[in-house]
Order: sequence, then structure tokens, then C-alpha cells
Amino acid sequence: MNTAKRKWVPYFFLSPYLLFYVVLGLIPIVFSFYVSLTNWDGISGKTFVGLSNYKFLFNPDSYFFQSVGNTLLFIAMTLPLQIIFGLAIASLLYSQFVKWKAFFQLINFLPYIVTPVAVGLMFNLLFDWQAGFVNKVLLHFGLIEEGIYWLGDPVYARMIIVLMLFWKGFGYTMIFFLAGLANIPKDLNEAAQVDGASGFRSFWSITLPLLKPVMTFIIITGIIGGFQLLEEPMLLLGGSGMGSSSAVIGGPERCCLTTVWNMYDTAYGSTTRYGLGAAIAYGLCVIIAIFSFIGVRLQRGDQE
Amino acid sequence: MNSTARTTLATSAIALLSIFALLPFYIMIVMGTYQNEDLFQRIVLIPGHYLWENLKTVAASRFDLVYWNSLIVSVASTLLSVFVSAFAGFAFAKHEFKYKNKIFGAVLLTMMIPGQLGLVAYVIEMRYLGVSGTLLPLIMPWIANAFGVFWMTQFMKGAIPTEVLESARMDGCSDIGVFFRIVLAFIYPAITTLSLLVFLWSWNNYLLPLIIINKPELYTIPLGITSLGNAYRTDLAAQILGLTLGTIPVLILFAFGSKSFIRGLTAGSVKG
Repeated sequence: MNTAKRKWVPYFFLSPYLLFYVVLGLIPIVFSFYVSLTNWDGISGKTFVGLSNYKFLFNPDSYFFQSVGNTLLFIAMTLPLQIIFGLAIASLLYSQFVKWKAFFQLINFLPYIVTPVAVGLMFNLLFDWQAGFVNKVLLHFGLIEEGIYWLGDPVYARMIIVLMLFWKGFGYTMIFFLAGLANIPKDLNEAAQVDGASGFRSFWSITLPLLKPVMTFIIITGIIGGFQLLEEPMLLLGGSGMGSSSAVIGGPERCCLTTVWNMYDTAYGSTTRYGLGAAIAYGLCVIIAIFSFIGVRLQRGDQE
Repeated sequence: MNSTARTTLATSAIALLSIFALLPFYIMIVMGTYQNEDLFQRIVLIPGHYLWENLKTVAASRFDLVYWNSLIVSVASTLLSVFVSAFAGFAFAKHEFKYKNKIFGAVLLTMMIPGQLGLVAYVIEMRYLGVSGTLLPLIMPWIANAFGVFWMTQFMKGAIPTEVLESARMDGCSDIGVFFRIVLAFIYPAITTLSLLVFLWSWNNYLLPLIIINKPELYTIPLGITSLGNAYRTDLAAQILGLTLGTIPVLILFAFGSKSFIRGLTAGSVKG
């Protein structure tokens, strides 16, 4: 075996990824930054405008910070729910007290695999004020006098989005907690039992600390994924979503406008301001970077 | 509390939650079997008799073509992504080279970058390359998949004994031979898990097709469903049936693959 000859081997295995990453990832990212420094509608020539697109993000007319705030609110309300329920179900499924484990695992994971577009439309139908299932049931039992206009009210609309995201995501966190539980050595809990610890006590002092890597993984990917939120609110509130002008972008008072929806609408929806759209994407990236940085710092702080 | 009581209690708790998970599906399926007018008049709880008529409406929109497009895109994305990720993962997990940790750090960093960051320029690049009238722009982003590389690297570190690789090389097996004959066999669970995830993500992808695809004959499932909404705005029942049909393939895939999917996750990178 000639070691000199084998030096190229790792580069050989790495090259397809690196090549495609540069062409399909890196070049568009760099070029998008250039676009974000220009005024461009995609048809006429680009005009270099420096940082003025970024300055405009601070103008309320750009809806940038409103959309970031909305997105953060959805993450802050949904993620804890998903973690608590995901962990509770995973612990139940992992205990010896549940029958038909594989079956229940699959059922609770199903919402996660449904096309987000379908999820948005499905909840749009459930909460439609005329034909919606929810209003009909409430009317049937005489709980309300007339149909509630769920999607026309900012508070209700946000509640429905949180419900929808929770419904979609708790099975996903459950799967990861199940995987984490399976990696905890069984003898630790057995030893605790021998020492007379209650089930709750050993869960709190043994299981929970050992699940920390999974917890970190879920929180970080949950925040990154949460910032990409687009389809569910767009289809919930826009119906067809294909640039439909009938509905206000972002729902009542733009209370459900997410950052990516804002970017899409700026660059490809109601306006074609590519430069501003690219600036929104970069602004989002900075915000995610700040959150990731805080997350990593907190994790490090714990270890020290 | 004895263990039978506990079993009953725990199982019924899970069963209740499962109803919560399944209810919207059930309502969706049932609504697709009714005539449009019925949906506005009463609560529908059991399947109706209008399924065949609604199916005909959906079929008239060439939904089969939409299916076919989604299938091509998802299968191609999955194969390319898994293959390229496994290649790169092999280099990171089982080889030494200069700046290895720095390059791997860069891969981790790209995982944090939102996919929309380069979107504006990506669309222009595809137009420039002359492929925006094809399905290629929907497949290509998955080839260089940072998550896949991370996943494969973590898995291979633990799953492949270095001695086996060494002895294969001693016996004169080429490095490419080692990869295809030995490495692939060891990482089977990681391949299943990553394949299911990439297939799911590309099947469900909406934003990129929405921006880049402008010919109805190239629509994928998420676009096909929304365009059903446009064409049959009044025919809610047909649209709901379209939703159900678009969901079925991934349901089947995960129903069969969920066991090895979870096994792959457990053996894989959640170890932290």
C-alpha cells in the first residue's frame, strides 16, 4: 500500500459534495448578497444602492421586525408544548406499560409527514366560518350563537397557527426523545430502583439530564426550522396562496406574517423587489446566527 | 396501583392523544367522499357516496402528471443526496487530511444557514443555465446536503470498524471498492433514515417550485394541490380529495419504513 498514492483519496470522496456546494450553495449565497445591495426588479438593470435596503428593514413599512416578532412568538409558544408532550409520550411509550408501541409511534408521527401545504389547507377547512367542522360542532351543541370568524381575528388566527404547528410537530420531538431514551443504559435506572428511588425521582435525576443532548438538538433545530415557517400560515390564511390578492398578506393586521413569507411576498408576490427580498433573507440569517450563538454559549456555560 | 391498571391507564392516555393526531386526517378523508353542497349543510362523520365523482374531477386536472413529477424529483433528490453525503461522510469519518476539522466545521455552519438565503440568486442562476423550464432546479439543491454529510459522518464514526477497512485494503481492494462493498453494508440503517427524510422534505417542498416552476405540466404535489384550489374554488370536496391523495405516498412509505427509520435514529447521531 503506497501512502503517497493514497493522499488524494479523502479529497476524491469529498469532491462531489464540495463541488456541488460551491456551485449550488455558495455562489448563490454570495451573489444574493450582491443583489441585496442593489435595487432590482429582475427586468431592468440593477442599480447599486449600498446598504439602503438594510436600512429600510428598520422602517415599519418593510414589516421586517413585525414578521420576525411573529415568527419568534410562534416558536416561543409551540416549541415548549412540543417538548413537554413529545417527552411525555415518548416516556410512556418507552415504559413497559404501553401495548402496541410501534402502532402508536407511527400514528403520532403521521402529522409530521403531511405536506405543510395540506396542513394549512386542512386547518383552513376545519376553521372556516361557514363550512368549517369546528364551528358546526360548536353550533350543534349550542355553545355559540353564530359561527366564529376564526381566521379574521388576530388572536384566534395566532391560536390556530400554534395549534396547527403543535399538532404537526409533537410526533417529531417524540421520535427523537424515543431515540434518546433508547441510548440511556438500562442499568442506571435499575440501580436507582434498587436504591429505593421513585419512578419520578429517577426520571428527574437520571433520565432528564441524560436526555440533554437530544433536548439541545431539538431546541436548536426547532428554532432554525421555526424561522423557515411559511407554508402553513400562508395556506391557512391565503387559501390558494398563489399570490392571491383577495386576502391580506399575513392575515388580519399581518399578525401571522412570518419572515420567509415576507421575503417571498417582497421578491415574488405583491412586489418584485429582489434586492429588498435578498436583504430580508440576510437579515433573517443574522437573527438566526445570534440565536445559535446564544445557544452555543449557554451550552458551553453549562459544561464549565 | 398494580401493573394491569397502569397498562390500561397509560395505553388509554396514548390512545386519546392518537385520536387528536388522527382527527384532522379522518375529517379530511371523510369530507372528500361527499358532494360539495353537503359539506356546507351538515356535519359529516361517516364516509359518503360521492368519492368516485370527486375522483373524476381530480383526474380531469391531470393529477397523475403531478404525481409523476413529484416522484421523479423526490427519488432523484434522495439517491443523489444519500450517495454524495455518504461519500463525504466516509472522508470525514475514516480518513485524515489537512484542514479536516476546519472543513467539517464549515459543513456544520452551513447547516445553520437558512435555505432561503441564496434563493434569489439561485433562481437567476438556474435561468442563466437554461434549466428553469425543467425539474432539475428542484433536484439539485439536495445534492449538496450539509445535514446529510453531518448525519453520515456521525454514523460512520461509530458503525465502521477501522480494522475491517484496513484488512480489505491489505487484500488489495481499491478505495472505491471498499466504499461500495464494505462501507455501504455497514451504514444501511443510516441510509434508510436519511433517504426517508430527504424524500419527505423534497416531496413536501413548496417555496422553490412556487417560485421557479411556471408550467402546470411541471407542477409537483404541493403546487398541484394549491392549483386544484384555484381551479375548483367552488368544489371544496374535490380539493380535499386532492389533499388526501397527495398525502398517501408518504404515509405508505413511513408506514413501512418507520421501524428502520427509528432504528437508524437510535443508532445514529442523537448520541450528541
